[in-house]
Amino acid sequence: MQARNLTLILMIAACGGPALAADSSAAVAAAEPAAAFQDLRKTPSITGNAQAGEGKAVVCQACHGPQGHSMVPMFPTLAGQPATYTYLQLQDYKAGRRHNEVMSPQAQTLSDEDMRDLAAYFAAQVPVALSAAGAAEDLLARGRQLYQQGEPKAGIPPCQACHGADGRGVRAAAAGRGVPWHTYPALAGQQAVYVAAQLQAFKDGSRAGSSNARVMHGVVQQMDTAAMQAVGAYVAQSLPPAKQDRGAADGAAPGSGTDRR
Amino acid sequence: MARTHSLTPLFGMAFLLALPAAAADSSASARVGDLQYGNGFDPRGDSVLSLDADPDGLSWLHRDQPRTPSGVLYAPPPRLGGERLFGDWRYDGLLEIGVGYLGGSHDAQFFRQYSDWSNGLMLGLLSFEAYQPDSGNYLEARGSRIGGNDQFWRLRAGRYGHYKVEGFYRDMPHLVTSTAYPIWEGIGSGTLTLPPGLMPGASAPADIATASANAPRTSVRVNRSRSGLSIEGDVGKRWIAYTSFSNEERNGTRLWGGPMFFNYPFADNGGVLETIRPVDFTTTDLSAGARYAGQVWQFNAVYNGSFFRNHQNRLDYETPFILSPVTGTPAAGVITHGQFALEPDNDAHNLRLDLSRAILGNGRLSLTGALGRMRQDETLLAPMNCQGRIGIDLSPGPDYTIDCADWNTTAALSQPSANARIDTLLLDAKASFRPTANFGWHVELRHYDETNKTNYLSYNPLTGEYGYITENGSMGTIVPGEMGLFDPNNPLYQSYFTHIRAIPYGYAESRAELGGDWRIDPLNTVSATYSFIRYRPDHRERSRLDDNQLALSWVSRAIAQGSLRVSYEFATRSGDHYNYFPYAAFYSTAIPGYVPGADASPFTVDAMRKYDLSDREQHKFRAIFTHPVGEDATVSTIAYGKYNDYSAAIGRKGDTSTGLMLQWDYQPLPTMTLNAYLGGELGKVRMSNVADAEAVVSADPSYGGAKYPFENTWSESDQQRNVNAGLSARRSFGRYRVDGSYSLVYSRGRLDYDYASPGALSGTQQPFLNQLTPFPDNHYRLQSLELGLTRAFSETLAVRLFGRYEFGDFNDWHYDGFRNNLLYDHRLYSDQGPAAHYDASLIGLMLQLKL
Repeated sequence: MQARNLTLILMIAACGGPALAADSSAAVAAAEPAAAFQDLRKTPSITGNAQAGEGKAVVCQACHGPQGHSMVPMFPTLAGQPATYTYLQLQDYKAGRRHNEVMSPQAQTLSDEDMRDLAAYFAAQVPVALSAAGAAEDLLARGRQLYQQGEPKAGIPPCQACHGADGRGVRAAAAGRGVPWHTYPALAGQQAVYVAAQLQAFKDGSRAGSSNARVMHGVVQQMDTAAMQAVGAYVAQSLPPAKQDRGAADGAAPGSGTDRR
Repeated sequence: MARTHSLTPLFGMAFLLALPAAAADSSASARVGDLQYGNGFDPRGDSVLSLDADPDGLSWLHRDQPRTPSGVLYAPPPRLGGERLFGDWRYDGLLEIGVGYLGGSHDAQFFRQYSDWSNGLMLGLLSFEAYQPDSGNYLEARGSRIGGNDQFWRLRAGRYGHYKVEGFYRDMPHLVTSTAYPIWEGIGSGTLTLPPGLMPGASAPADIATASANAPRTSVRVNRSRSGLSIEGDVGKRWIAYTSFSNEERNGTRLWGGPMFFNYPFADNGGVLETIRPVDFTTTDLSAGARYAGQVWQFNAVYNGSFFRNHQNRLDYETPFILSPVTGTPAAGVITHGQFALEPDNDAHNLRLDLSRAILGNGRLSLTGALGRMRQDETLLAPMNCQGRIGIDLSPGPDYTIDCADWNTTAALSQPSANARIDTLLLDAKASFRPTANFGWHVELRHYDETNKTNYLSYNPLTGEYGYITENGSMGTIVPGEMGLFDPNNPLYQSYFTHIRAIPYGYAESRAELGGDWRIDPLNTVSATYSFIRYRPDHRERSRLDDNQLALSWVSRAIAQGSLRVSYEFATRSGDHYNYFPYAAFYSTAIPGYVPGADASPFTVDAMRKYDLSDREQHKFRAIFTHPVGEDATVSTIAYGKYNDYSAAIGRKGDTSTGLMLQWDYQPLPTMTLNAYLGGELGKVRMSNVADAEAVVSADPSYGGAKYPFENTWSESDQQRNVNAGLSARRSFGRYRVDGSYSLVYSRGRLDYDYASPGALSGTQQPFLNQLTPFPDNHYRLQSLELGLTRAFSETLAVRLFGRYEFGDFNDWHYDGFRNNLLYDHRLYSDQGPAAHYDASLIGLMLQLKL
């Protein structure tokens, strides 16, 4: 009995094995940067000196606009981002986990303290809503659908689950502990083009190297370019701007991300 | 490594966030697939033979190890082994093959009870999984213990959110005993014949003893083979249709009886046989239905059918014992055979409709109606299989013989087939409301009716007699007039009290329930439910029983960061007048012409209360506390109890069970787990009875009367003590993984008894009064130790060496002496029972190949 079954298995393997093995060299993966992978699940909230950061941020304004309010579609708005998120991005640029022709060399010159201060400064700024002019209604509608409800049948989860219903991040106290909410970016008022580009970067693996990037890599697998643009348009132009209550916080207790020394 | 993790978030997010419908789409549903898979090699049917747990844990989203809502740690996920691509499909497969070596008493009953271990080649596992991310299509195939009698195969396919199909095949062994020594030939068939050297109905005791001693060792087992196919899919917006088919074959043998009248009061006479009957069953189940889930209405309509076929409808057996009349002249005919009618073919159909609708008050109204019919119309067997004339002739007195020709033919039946039928009806209406977020209540009315339409009369049109021939005619062969027959026209039998008609047991149960739950604060919820149940049995000692039940519960997450669930139930049961003999219509007393005999005895004592109809007070409680300890450990405690007190002077007086279980789960690393548990339960059943005064002729049924005097009362207490304990650990070190487990199952049964006077004992027991000793404790203790070492040699090859050592001891006084002798006077047994001690081992070396 056992011998018969073994024969059956070997026959199956003989017929199907080589055909399947022909593609086996294609790894199911995205190419990741050579830099060490960073597990952000236990990353603590950082603190920094926002006042000191203000002085250090002068050079940033060239691209990211005054007080981190970007005027250029390809450059992200930094105002209102959780301090820890901004700090981690600067670290990624310095360590090579993220690559950008401008940012990568810029980050090389920053000390850890600089990064903390800059992150605290931008976190303390209040983002503003971008103009809705120019965005097609159907594009915004699809973006709203994706952001709020996702597309379950396509395997696309709703963005708000991790980025907050208003796009300003999840308040950890209300959402429960254990999730590194402070490492997730706020999306309210972010540049649409930048958002779409980052989603594409997550999908093709050019932005990787951290546990959060792996989450996003899975999220965007079923999103096409149109879906990415729709989400970008929605978060940039349809979300209410953040209010003062965000302050410099990481989305946890107000002020927890700032050290106003 | 990178390949592995590229998929993890996709799966994680898809299952956790995006596809709740798909997550609920598990084939664990009863509609699609079998309920449970598993065997000794793969107890849960889903073991993943990955070399290691994923060191990255369960989710990239959580800092800590995730816990269930009640606080239990989720198990570390297995490390995915790097899927491969075939077009836009991703696939993965594993083959586990190796050898096993058995040692010790590897044929011991408990070692093999539900497993089919064997020496030599073992095909442990063949699994293949593939999915297509863009479409949600998936395919999963799995085979375990391939070729063994405990193998299972499973094929699942579908498209998440759209349809799923499952086909399966599984074998399940059940060994009852491996130490049976039946004397008969033809074991496994419906005809048991005595071996050469024994004469049916005429064998010498010494020859029977020799045949028993020389009988070959036989295992008594049943193997189940079950296969099925099911499919479920959406057939329109909000519509889902489903259908399933399964077929189960049960083949083997089972220990059985063979009554040829008493032996204890009639030394060197009568016959008590432990025969072995065949099992050859087929059960086919069909189901088909559709459900609709709209915004306002939801409904489900389903048909379920079950069809049982027994391919062996009778057991004929030869009896070796000589039966002798206690007085008078025996007839020429000799009882040489006995027979049983085995389980009849039967069909069951059930049609059920559930409707649910949102109603005002943030409420929901649910209605259910179901109709069922169970039917069997098996062709009946002749009442006897004897030849000639049997019984006792007391010439010149009465002649108590019968002609077998009047009884060994189906013409002796009142009807050719059973024509049995039970109809069922279920009606249920439930309305639930949640007027506020913190308060909800419900009311429910339910009625279930089971009507038995069976009406079989035991009447022989050839002779005009009623009743069943008792114990294959042996009783009437030993005691004059005790053939079991009633004949209103024959003075010899017109006073015989016997069962002549099938009793169509049925019942109706009506239930009304009112309940509510209140969320006191975010951490505490309480609930209360009151139920009233009216039970109306047909043809029972009571025609009405009322149950009043109150259930209270408290769920709290406010204590030491743990979750506490406490419930308590109090119930009382009472009913109308208790009639100790409600069966008059089904006995010969109901036939015109019945003449009460001068020596008529009561049916039973009037104080007897059958426990399912007795007045009762019941208390039940359960408390479960799950306490997270730090981020990587959980301590769980479960305490429970159930206490029944019956208002019965005779019958079951009370039963209790109390249990406690402690469990500790520790997962300091994804690659390391430790678990330990200890559980204990105490149970006790108390009953009381009264022996009839055998020498007294009286029809008085009263307890304390002439027939059932108080001094004949006896009582019994059956106590059970059960202990379960276990420890398991797993740890990975680079390419190595070690795992081990130990388990203990211990059960002790103690039987105590008391009696008011020697009159409580039967006449055959009274000579041994001075020899009475307490029953020895029965016990069952089984321990097993399992150790495994796995080493990975590459991404696709690993070797696992494992050993299992099992040992146990057993004592049950029912089997005392059977190791030495299975024949005692005219009592012949077949099963020696489990070994008093055994130890068995299995060592395996398995090769794990990634396909």
